Amino acid sequence: MLEIKNLHASIEDENRAILNGINLTVNPGEVHAIMGPNGSGKSTLSYILSGREGYDVTDGEVLYKGQDLLEMSPDERAAKGVFLAFQYPIEIPGVATMQFLKVALNSQRKARGEGELSTPDFMRLVKEKSAALNISQEMLKRPVNVGFSGGEKKRAEILQMAVLEPSLCILDETDSGLDIDALKLVAEGVNKLRSPDRAMIVITHYQRLLDYIVPDQVHVLSKGRIVKSGGKELALELERNGYAEYVGDAA
Amino acid sequence: MSLTLAPTAAETAYQGFALPHRRQEDWRWTDLRQLLDQAYPPTNGTKASAAEIDRLIATDALAPFARARLVFVDGAFDKARSKLPATGAITLEHLTHGAPPSSARGAYDDPLANLNDRFCRESLRLTVKAGTAEDAPIALVFVSTGHEAVTTCTRAQIIVEKGASATLLETHIGGAGAYVASSLIEASIGDDARLDRVKIAEDGQAAIHLASFHVKLGTQSSLNDFTLTQGAKATRQQTFATFTGQHSNIKVAGAYLLNGKQHADTKITVDHAVPHCTSRELFKCVMDDQARGIFQGKVVVRKDAQKTDGKQSSNALLLSETAEFDAKPELEIFADDVVCGHGATSGSLNDDYLFYLRARGIPEDEAKSLLIAAFASEAFDEVAHEAVREALGELTQGWLINRKPA
Ligand SMILES: Nc1ncnc2c1ncn2[C@@H]1O[C@H](COP(=O)(O)OP(=O)(O)OP(=O)(O)O)[C@@H](O)[C@H]1O
Ligand SMILES: [Mg+2]
Repeated sequence: MLEIKNLHASIEDENRAILNGINLTVNPGEVHAIMGPNGSGKSTLSYILSGREGYDVTDGEVLYKGQDLLEMSPDERAAKGVFLAFQYPIEIPGVATMQFLKVALNSQRKARGEGELSTPDFMRLVKEKSAALNISQEMLKRPVNVGFSGGEKKRAEILQMAVLEPSLCILDETDSGLDIDALKLVAEGVNKLRSPDRAMIVITHYQRLLDYIVPDQVHVLSKGRIVKSGGKELALELERNGYAEYVGDAA
Repeated sequence: MSLTLAPTAAETAYQGFALPHRRQEDWRWTDLRQLLDQAYPPTNGTKASAAEIDRLIATDALAPFARARLVFVDGAFDKARSKLPATGAITLEHLTHGAPPSSARGAYDDPLANLNDRFCRESLRLTVKAGTAEDAPIALVFVSTGHEAVTTCTRAQIIVEKGASATLLETHIGGAGAYVASSLIEASIGDDARLDRVKIAEDGQAAIHLASFHVKLGTQSSLNDFTLTQGAKATRQQTFATFTGQHSNIKVAGAYLLNGKQHADTKITVDHAVPHCTSRELFKCVMDDQARGIFQGKVVVRKDAQKTDGKQSSNALLLSETAEFDAKPELEIFADDVVCGHGATSGSLNDDYLFYLRARGIPEDEAKSLLIAAFASEAFDEVAHEAVREALGELTQGWLINRKPA
């Protein structure tokens, strides 16, 4: 599904290297967790995968379903199934949530050569998915994320994911800011999407999320490099001992 | 000062009327001596064919919403094409012997009103009778065929009597030829009365649109005014609003959708002559290509007008490097217990918004269109009539579709 090979990247105009040779292969059906200290480059990696501007890829490549991902525009990537649940979802005043969701879904369908969803079918779909995530109709009437609490924004990201049904889901600290009940709802939402032809990259600081979304592999990112990979027990070990051991390694 | 300047062709056609120009402070961005690039003699009545007129009238986006519709063609009231208000709440008078200024005109020296005074031949006076609520909008449709390079002067007086309420829709549409459209609306809003006004300025692409709106408000009354500026090569429009009774309310909102080399200059003066009144101004201005938008908002708070609450803001969205926006907010405050403020912003489309939309699969052009429409719609939100608000959204969509590279 995703092959990241020796990816080096820096912030545009700053010449500051953030990713220093990332290698990561994610196969269909797998869930990979990425953990690592603040500032180690986790969000930067997720932005580069989803096509945000402002980075220079100085070396390496990224293949998605065998194609050069970095060549594609952000909307092209999304239509091909890449989805990033943002660490900090932004508020977009004036753009109605339902209209946004509908345009997004139908743009993706159109790009894939599928027919557009009718308004009633679309309404039904959103109603069903939002109920499961405990998102009220009132929230859906507001502009995108406007006035949502921190936790509501995270749930709204998962709603978008549930509606768009991507193939590669990248969750950037979706658990941060969620209360205990919301965490379970979100994890359920994510687990519902787990399937043999879908893959997930779950970025998190907390082992707790991984109790709900059990990963196949856990990676430690430090200073823009994966310094340790292991099974789900690696997360437990990190919880106990912190990153000291690995941060030292990477230096 | 203007005496020392040789008269322009237009000033000669206007029998020596001195046009305002950029050395006058209020007119620094809009120099009528330069803009009126040929004579534009004042006329009244049309030489265009019936088919041409009907074709233009058919483009009126607000047509479906009005109960009564009063149509002017090239300065003359066209009774045959109008639908007169059913007698009852509204009386309509057609004044054909000159057009005296109404009491709504303040002490302001307004050159555009002066020009209109000089050459306007006929006008309408609409009176909404005391205590009546006119739910269905009344439309004024000003058509300029652009058949000849002339100046047409139109005017209407709106009197909303005590306790009455009305919604006025005003559309300015025109043909492709060069012309000058001079419009004057004078409104008196009585005690406990309300006027909602929605204006769509969609004159032809070579037109010069010169408009003044003078309005006075009584006690516990309200004005909710909205203007969409989309047409004409050059626009100068002015609002002079005066509170004469306490506990009244003014909202003036507007949006610009400008492209090419369009120029639009709005000057709004809200005069808090009495205490306890509230005024809000909100303009959302979208400029593409080499378009230039100007917003001049002035709030005057007289010495006795304590507890005044006056705020204005203008936000510009520049879609190209060569588009321009100038804002000139002014506060003239002579009372001490007031809350007044202004804010002006100007910027391009927000990259983070754009990325968020694109990351969800929305192609770049469409994402931009969504954001532009969202930006303008903040001003539409002030329009109370739902169907009219939706029509404004559709006009925006039309503008966005034309904008997209083929
Ligand atoms: N636009 C930018 N300009 C300058 N520095 C940046 C920019 N974006 C990221 N960085 C820097 O790159 C490094 C990696 O940031 P990133 O957001 O990827 O970290 P992270 O691993 O997601 O951290 P956290 O756990 O706090 O979310 C940080 O040092 C950050 O300051
Ligand atoms: Mg991060």
